[in-house]
Amino acid sequence: MNAIELSHICKSFGSFAIQDLNLTIPCGTICGLVGENGAGKSTTIRLLMNALSPDSGRAAVLGVDVSSPEFRAVKENIGVVLDEAYFPEVLTPVQVGRVMADTYRRWDQKQYEEFLRRFDLPEKKPFKDFSRGMKMKLAIAVAMSHHPKLLVLDEATSGLDPIVRDEVLELFNEFTREEDHSILLSSHIVSDLEKLCDYIAFIHRGRLLFCDEKDQLLETYGIFAGNAEQLESLRSEAVVGREHSGYGVRALVRRNEVPNGLELERASIEDIILFTVKGAKQG
Amino acid sequence: MSALIRKDFYVLWKQMRFFLLLVIVFSVIGSEFYTIFAVVWASMLPYTALAYDERSHWDQLAAMMPYSTRNMVLSKYVLGWLCMAGAMMLCLTVSVVRGMVLHTTPDFLALAMAAFIGIFSIDLTLPLVLRFGVERGRMGFLLVIICVAILGSMLISNLTILRSLMAVPMLSIALGAVLATAISIPLSIRMYQKHW
Repeated sequence: MNAIELSHICKSFGSFAIQDLNLTIPCGTICGLVGENGAGKSTTIRLLMNALSPDSGRAAVLGVDVSSPEFRAVKENIGVVLDEAYFPEVLTPVQVGRVMADTYRRWDQKQYEEFLRRFDLPEKKPFKDFSRGMKMKLAIAVAMSHHPKLLVLDEATSGLDPIVRDEVLELFNEFTREEDHSILLSSHIVSDLEKLCDYIAFIHRGRLLFCDEKDQLLETYGIFAGNAEQLESLRSEAVVGREHSGYGVRALVRRNEVPNGLELERASIEDIILFTVKGAKQG
Repeated sequence: MSALIRKDFYVLWKQMRFFLLLVIVFSVIGSEFYTIFAVVWASMLPYTALAYDERSHWDQLAAMMPYSTRNMVLSKYVLGWLCMAGAMMLCLTVSVVRGMVLHTTPDFLALAMAAFIGIFSIDLTLPLVLRFGVERGRMGFLLVIICVAILGSMLISNLTILRSLMAVPMLSIALGAVLATAISIPLSIRMYQKHW
């Protein structure tokens, strides 16, 4: 079964539109959704949680169509962290826990209290007095305390200091040790995604440019570094995107399209994303 | 729905402490106007809760949780009714105590009138506020509140007439309140869906 299945989703807001979005995330995997500000990551998350209706296309989560009445019950199996925590500011973590205990049938108060201790969150301090990092930690604690099968995380690691971020990433890693647990994680921090994800989906101006296994991406692409003449000698299909500098040319190339023996550097996920955008702009 | 009402009570608690004190003061004064004022004010507490929701963008998070639109909307009505019921109980308790001291009887008609005005004001204003938000819905909300205030003062000045008529108008008003609520709730659900 797929954890998330978006097929031919279109949603227009006038100047911005999600266009023919197809995204499949198998159960038991972690998928990183990456894209610049305003690319459509949060809109994608709202569409797949049925917080927004698409103009056309179909979205299914954990095998259930999100527009069906049954999807409400499926939300019991989904933990969501948005880019901000969005709890009413006067609430304390204890009060948030009580509200969530009335919200989720499988709410685990002990687990929640353990997270509060683990994240060092003061139980009786109003949410408005929390730092951004503390707010995000509270949101993560809430999202993980009702035994979800799918975590949907929108910029959940931004605003966390590197030590806590590492701890949170380890927590997400632990979560996916259960084979039916999955995560969709949108982030600007590509290094986090590279560390954690099995799949990388890249969205640019409302279009999904690729969604592939991370290892597959790293095997497929390499970085060519040389001069302009050397680059021109390569087949045009081989070059995804290029950048010129005073020292020569760097380009992202498809390994299987370049001559054997051509020396290529290892491409990072960040390289693949940046050169793909450059390639799209260069036409 | 209990989660949403619980959340709103937590949000309103600080306001409520001040409000409870005010209700007691009004009830001690013992005029019909103050009773109606206290109960109608209680009926407006859902708007304060909605303003907090808007400020914290709670609706965006709630849309990700297993709450139905119906429950999101209905919880605000129930919150208003509970606040009104609390204010009425408090007014009644204080006026019973006051009656024991001053040998007066509680004004049940004023309480009933207050309840009806409160219910009607919720029914009229919630759909607007849910559609346009607290900030943008404020104009419509103010208009309705002014009409309710005028209606309230008219009823207060005609309490003697109403007392002599008793059962028939009370029943009519009660039926009117039920009808208005039956229309207002589905309308609010549609308005809320449009807002999102």
